[in-house]
Amino acid sequence: MPDPALLALTWRVSRRGLLASPFVVAAGLAFPAFVVWTGFRESYETAAKLFFFALPHLFLIGSQDAVRSEVESGALESVLFIGGRFRGYLGLKSLFGAGLIAAYAALLFGLLAAWGAAAGGLEPAFVARFGLALLAGLYYVAVAGVLSHVLRGAAGVLALLLAQAAAVIVLILTTTARAGLLDYAAAGRFPAIGAALRFGALVAVLPNIVVAGRLPAFAAEILAIFVLAVLLRGRLVRALEIRK
Amino acid sequence: MIEAHKLAKRYGRVEALQDVSFKIRKGTITAMLGENGAGKTTTLKIALGFLRPDAGSVAIAPGRVGYVPDRPAFPAGLDGWTILGLCRNRERAGGEGNGRSFAAAVLGASRSLLFDPGLLRRAPGAYSAGNAKKFAFLQNLVLAPDLLVADEPYAALDPPAVKCVRDIFCGLRDAGKTVLISSHMLAEMERIADGFVVLRRGRTIVHAGLREWRLLRASRTGPDLESVFLLLSGP
Repeated sequence: MPDPALLALTWRVSRRGLLASPFVVAAGLAFPAFVVWTGFRESYETAAKLFFFALPHLFLIGSQDAVRSEVESGALESVLFIGGRFRGYLGLKSLFGAGLIAAYAALLFGLLAAWGAAAGGLEPAFVARFGLALLAGLYYVAVAGVLSHVLRGAAGVLALLLAQAAAVIVLILTTTARAGLLDYAAAGRFPAIGAALRFGALVAVLPNIVVAGRLPAFAAEILAIFVLAVLLRGRLVRALEIRK
Repeated sequence: MIEAHKLAKRYGRVEALQDVSFKIRKGTITAMLGENGAGKTTTLKIALGFLRPDAGSVAIAPGRVGYVPDRPAFPAGLDGWTILGLCRNRERAGGEGNGRSFAAAVLGASRSLLFDPGLLRRAPGAYSAGNAKKFAFLQNLVLAPDLLVADEPYAALDPPAVKCVRDIFCGLRDAGKTVLISSHMLAEMERIADGFVVLRRGRTIVHAGLREWRLLRASRTGPDLESVFLLLSGP
């Protein structure tokens, strides 16, 4: 059972960290506004697709966990964190950050579902798609958390965004008239192991792809990498020392 | 109260500590002295759990432990009152006074440090270096530690604040608490310390109580701590 004083401290710092970041607040407000705008301009179905596909990026933007920056700032070398308490704090911090974003995502999903119920577009499959979007979001939190042990500030988040941009550019440049990765993914079948591996690599960089729900094997891949990242993060935190 | 046994710590190729051992009794002020890079801060950080020793061990008697770092930094975005409240919560067993008595205790401690309580409404990250140091002491006074560890406690403080901090150290000792200070201010240490641990190149070269220290001083024909220290740490 974590000590209640550490829980209170971590909760305050995590909440404050998220709400004090203009980038996170802007993204948190712009995302539902864009979904609503899409819904009015196109259709509820398109808005729902956009919601589920883009939702994991809320977690990515909010997961500027920055362990290295925090260690280097000296803030962990404080009476609040003596006796190795800084390790518990860092472990809880990413948990609270993810929990706060997940709570916000659940609120938005509730509003989307209410809109769908009123518009007659609500589908039971949305619950599973929301679950997959949460999984992809938590994957981002875990991977960005590992990267934040090495990279300063939001550089881990930026590295993931750049990797995604690079993957999309490569995908566009290698598109031919013949059936390609996205066609195989849309069909849910890959003709060869090479194509499946290439798509697996794409999913690892852009896990939002799994929210469609047609690719359970790749959702399992995301789950496996998420678990590995959580274990690695725990190991890194346990080995951490404050050497400022 | 604290017992360190054969501590060793390496940062890559640099051997920060090779053999550091000392024992500090309860209700005393102990000064840890040494040149820059002697291993004082590393020793304190190991004792406080910020670093893990490669070899050796540190045992600290149960009780509240406080710490004033050389250059204090604080969690971003939290104001002074919030941080002090979190410090109080760290060790509070429950039912130890209400909000009003806590505020009165903070104001009393602020006065004893010549710290302006109006600053507590702001985040300590915005304080001057001197006020940040005073706030770090204030955190510890709120905590009421049984053992207070301070790394360069007088750095950035003005002369009146130095006197206040000295009074705090002596007050803690008189109340049966233990104080461990790492400092280069030898005259100040000679004035208040009951014992000395001198480190050199990661090793304990002297570990003496006040009486032993006076004997050492006499035998080395040094008029003060500074001259004895310079003799000990000479080439």
